[in-house]
Amino acid sequence: MRHAARLLAAALVTLAVLSGGSASASPAAEGTDDRPVVRVGTEGTYPPFSFHDSATNDLTGYDVEVIKAVAKEAGWRLEFVETTFDAIFAALDAGRIDVIANQVTDNPERQARYGLSDTYTYSRGVIVVKKGTTGITSLEDLDGKTTAQSLTSNYAEIAREAGANVEGVEGFAQAAALVVQGRVDALVNDNLAALDYLNTTGSDEIEISGEIDDEVSEQKLAFRQDDPELLKQANDAIAALKADGTLARISDQYFKIDVSVENDGDADLSGGRAVRSDWQIVKDAAWPMLRGLLIATIPITIISFALGLALAVAAALANISGSRVLRGIARTYISIIRGTPLLVQLFIVFYGLPEIGLDLAPWPAAILALSLNVGGYAAEIVRSAILSVPKGQFEAASTIGMGYWQTLRRIVFPQAARTAVPPLSNTLISLLKDTSLLSVVLVTELFREAVNAASAAQVFLPLYIVAALYYWIVCALLAAGQGRIETRLNRFVAS
Amino acid sequence: MTDIRVSAQGVTKAFGDNQVLRGIDFEVPAGTTTALLGPSGSGKTTVLRTLNALEIPDAGTVRVGEVTVDFDHLPSGRKAARAQTDRLRAQSGMVFQSHHLFPHKTVLENVIEGPVQVQKVPLDEAVSDARRLLEQVGLGEKADQHPFQLSGGQQQRVGIARALALKPRVVLFDEPTSALDPELVGEVLEVIKDLAEEGWTTVIVTHEIQFARQVADQVLFLDGGVVVERGTPAEVIDHPREERTQRFLRRILDRG
Repeated sequence: MRHAARLLAAALVTLAVLSGGSASASPAAEGTDDRPVVRVGTEGTYPPFSFHDSATNDLTGYDVEVIKAVAKEAGWRLEFVETTFDAIFAALDAGRIDVIANQVTDNPERQARYGLSDTYTYSRGVIVVKKGTTGITSLEDLDGKTTAQSLTSNYAEIAREAGANVEGVEGFAQAAALVVQGRVDALVNDNLAALDYLNTTGSDEIEISGEIDDEVSEQKLAFRQDDPELLKQANDAIAALKADGTLARISDQYFKIDVSVENDGDADLSGGRAVRSDWQIVKDAAWPMLRGLLIATIPITIISFALGLALAVAAALANISGSRVLRGIARTYISIIRGTPLLVQLFIVFYGLPEIGLDLAPWPAAILALSLNVGGYAAEIVRSAILSVPKGQFEAASTIGMGYWQTLRRIVFPQAARTAVPPLSNTLISLLKDTSLLSVVLVTELFREAVNAASAAQVFLPLYIVAALYYWIVCALLAAGQGRIETRLNRFVAS
Repeated sequence: MTDIRVSAQGVTKAFGDNQVLRGIDFEVPAGTTTALLGPSGSGKTTVLRTLNALEIPDAGTVRVGEVTVDFDHLPSGRKAARAQTDRLRAQSGMVFQSHHLFPHKTVLENVIEGPVQVQKVPLDEAVSDARRLLEQVGLGEKADQHPFQLSGGQQQRVGIARALALKPRVVLFDEPTSALDPELVGEVLEVIKDLAEEGWTTVIVTHEIQFARQVADQVLFLDGGVVVERGTPAEVIDHPREERTQRFLRRILDRG
């Protein structure tokens, strides 16, 4: 049916325009600044190196301040991209970021694959256990034990080589929580991160039980190998910052020592961020989370649902059309969408498509993946709703001279809506909740804000409860709206 | 020479293996009423539905008003074929067995939908036409109600007004009273009778023998996909020559 094809095409064009539009709008659009834009990948959840200040919600930390100083020296304009550590090298490979500033520890594999800068942090690895644990004080003791690490981190590699079972987590705070809860035996990480945790939480539940032997590890900025010019600029800048004492000053601010040189003594983080009460933590995070809901979660939900619905109508019409080709396309599409996890779809769209030249910014990628997903699920709802309209209605419309589109728009859709609204409301509510996955494609929405706040505060329960509350309130409002619409649609039907 | 408003020649139609129409020929002079009678399965409803191409005949020619479609030589392209059948369909109005009113629209909206949306008649003109038609079928005061608020007979009369609003060359009735409670049949037949007297050309598939006798100018008796007998009501209903017609009428009249 040609009409269905036209609608499908229109929906795809809309998507393309939308994606292209916002993709080109994001970088480089800001006026006359001609400094080169350098995109920095960092976790934003790894205090004290990269985290959100609880008072201002601004991204800060030792690594963030260092890269800012480097940028100032080298004449770059920075754009920060926050992502989990396990996605950070993929983002660098895919060209979504240009440099990683996140305590990337030097090792031979990374030397071989990436352009690593001169060292800006010297640190020691430590083993952290639940307080009172005995018998885990060195790497050898980890043999056969379970540790919690970011899977692609250097410390995960060290723990694995020591014979430990490595559980993957997203960031230090999660790992520390698992140790406190006794779900893993230990974690291996940077002594500075461990000290920061102890200092911020005031926790007496975990302790540093040992150091990783002799070697001091070196942390560096990581670039792509095909980007030697940026690397050279960075090295020149780091040398200059070391020479003029800027790095020492930044380091002193966080650690009371200069970590940018070897063996400057024991770090002292006690003057750092203060321990906050749970209530204060929730109060500080409530607004950033609400903002994430209002400027990301809700708009993305609305746009994706509208586009998804258009796709669903196109797929439904194709599926009930006389054309075998269109039917085949629609059924394959629906089957693929329903047969694969949304998370996998998101990864394909965001990390996979750039490899074939389709490089979408976070928002368009998120909207594309969610629209396709909604379209696949809603297509069957729309199809059965259209088929629920009696055949006589189509015939009556036809005998008063109406064409295909007129019949659909004026006669069929208003009646099909009655059948479709309850299941479509479920789709909408699911969609809203599914947006909590979008932090994996670098969209800072409600849940990502909760994760940020939780890792800065090293506290989970109250923050995740607040996040859940926000979702619940919006879903309850949607459900109430559904009831009103159903009443409206049912008023012309004899009960 | 009489003005022939509708004609069918050699119309055949099969649904799969079931040959429903085996060559139907008839003509309807302008301003007359033709009744199609016959047992169920005789093909009478299918004949009616070929006149507005709700069923596409396998062969034969159908003419309504000035539009003739030769189904033996229908264009092979879907779009071109559709254009021809659309033109044919636009010549007639149809009243269905179970009204098929649009439930989400008011009575008035049902009647003006075709004129306004399809024929692009100005709204105020369409509304005043529609109100006049609703008066004519005795539903002037129901214009702003929704179909579910009406009785079956009233719904069917709205269906008639909706068909008339298009100012068709012929009005097709597909068993307009079969789905009604017996006490509601009369009001609908009254309206149809008025139309005949006003000079509308109509083709009616019906089981109401007495009604056909009163109103029809021409009666066609169908059985097994062919026209078995045709003529005036006096000929076909009162003095049937064919044995099949006699048997059918006996059964119907005994029951009634």
